[in-house]
Amino acid sequence: MSGRLRLPDSRWARIALSVVNVVVFLTIWEIVAKEEVINPLFFPAPSDTWDALREGFADGTLTDALLWSLRCFAIGMVAAAVVGIPVGLLMGSSPAAYTLLSPYVWAMASLPRVAITPLLVLIFGFSQMAELVLIFLSALFPIVINCMAGPKTVDPSLLRAGRVFGASRLALYAKVVFPFTLPFIVSGLNQGLTRGLVGMVIAEIFGGNDGLGYVIQRAGETFEAPTLYAALFLLVAISLSLVQLLRWLEVRVAPWRNQSARA
Amino acid sequence: MGIEDAYITARGVSVTYRRQRDGSELPALAGVDLDVARGEFVAIVGPSGCGKTTFLNVVAGLVPASSGSVRVDGVEVTAPGPDRAMVFQDYALMPWRTVEANVRFGLEFQRHGLSRDEIDARIREAIELVSLTGFERAFPYELSGGMRQRVGIARALVGRPRVLLADEPLGAVDAMTREAMQGDLERIVAATGLTTILITHSIDEAIALADRLVIVSHRPGQVREIIDVPLPRPRFDYDIKAHPEYAPLREHVWDLLKGEALGAKEVEA
Repeated sequence: MSGRLRLPDSRWARIALSVVNVVVFLTIWEIVAKEEVINPLFFPAPSDTWDALREGFADGTLTDALLWSLRCFAIGMVAAAVVGIPVGLLMGSSPAAYTLLSPYVWAMASLPRVAITPLLVLIFGFSQMAELVLIFLSALFPIVINCMAGPKTVDPSLLRAGRVFGASRLALYAKVVFPFTLPFIVSGLNQGLTRGLVGMVIAEIFGGNDGLGYVIQRAGETFEAPTLYAALFLLVAISLSLVQLLRWLEVRVAPWRNQSARA
Repeated sequence: MGIEDAYITARGVSVTYRRQRDGSELPALAGVDLDVARGEFVAIVGPSGCGKTTFLNVVAGLVPASSGSVRVDGVEVTAPGPDRAMVFQDYALMPWRTVEANVRFGLEFQRHGLSRDEIDARIREAIELVSLTGFERAFPYELSGGMRQRVGIARALVGRPRVLLADEPLGAVDAMTREAMQGDLERIVAATGLTTILITHSIDEAIALADRLVIVSHRPGQVREIIDVPLPRPRFDYDIKAHPEYAPLREHVWDLLKGEALGAKEVEA
């Protein structure tokens, strides 16, 4: 007898198994919390968390926090993409640009973003701008570094084919380099999203008066564990849906990558 | 060495690469002379690193000759042109394009003045010529190596070039498919009247396809010997290996190449 667990083959059976898995987990959690095995001050039951979530949306506190966070995140991310994609592509295509910019890009990319929060508060005060800049800086460097890798790793034989069939430099860039780079841009955005989300929460916890990070920080200070958990739950939901969206996009722009990996 | 009314003429073609690391010079080709007649099929055979691909790149207009020149139909080659198309060892297909769109790539950058319908007809015709009808919407990753190279050949043919430059086109294809595709290549070249230069490591492939074999010495590449292949065509209608001329020819080429390979070792040592 082998002790290895075998997953069922059918798609529906696997979904059912996941549902059962989560339900069992929540039930155990509920029991453990209600029996107060762990201090309820920081271990609320799922039912209490659910109530906090519903109340937060009913009285608008969580709605406002969620919208604030999403708005800041969207602005910071769009700015990071608008700046990061062209800069990354330029650095990947031009050795001069790479030599000039890479020390700063690598330095900033390796710097833990939390460390610059006090500086941003110093510059911008406890304002929305501080949060936007932190999201922007957090997302920017993963985007730049990934986009840079695209043009640098273009298959030279594709370029050779482009030249043989008469492509000009511009056409070569548009028809060979750019399509080749597209999946790199998407994975840059994917990493940027995750990092940007971290930046968002840090800014709201340390400097802000709004957003999900602020809700978390306030709930911690006022011993409202269910609200804290509700905000954490919303962060997980945002993060997971964004990452899934990007993963879907990744498959769409580069189906050959996943196929060759599977073969 | 000269042929009358040669379509491709290479005279004293030398290429010297400069290493980026230390600026030292690396001679790849040293004075190659070669004439290829219109519609002729020439195979270039030589040890690896003998500059075969460099020579093909010069004819294609991708690499400038350090000295000497190549003329195609009397016009000196300075850049790639629609009269010359290339087939690559690693296929060099755009993975994000379908078969149809990859073939279209061969026409995309040419000033051909064709209407949309004419372009579509050309693409259909090229795909049919390589027997890929029905696979227009497939992506390269969904095809076998042999089928991918058929796409590469269709892309080369769609612009109706005069010269086909084939850089180890079947080098990455498995042995069974390889023989079948050699037959297809012979048929396609005969049907289109292309002047062809094939680079290959395989003596058998060179003999099976070419009218003449050009044996190139080890680096820097020079033409060592040019040999006529007296076997009748179409060669895939019979077992050419059973032909009385086949074995002596193969042995002769093999001896020449063995000498070159040993010479290359001595130079490296």
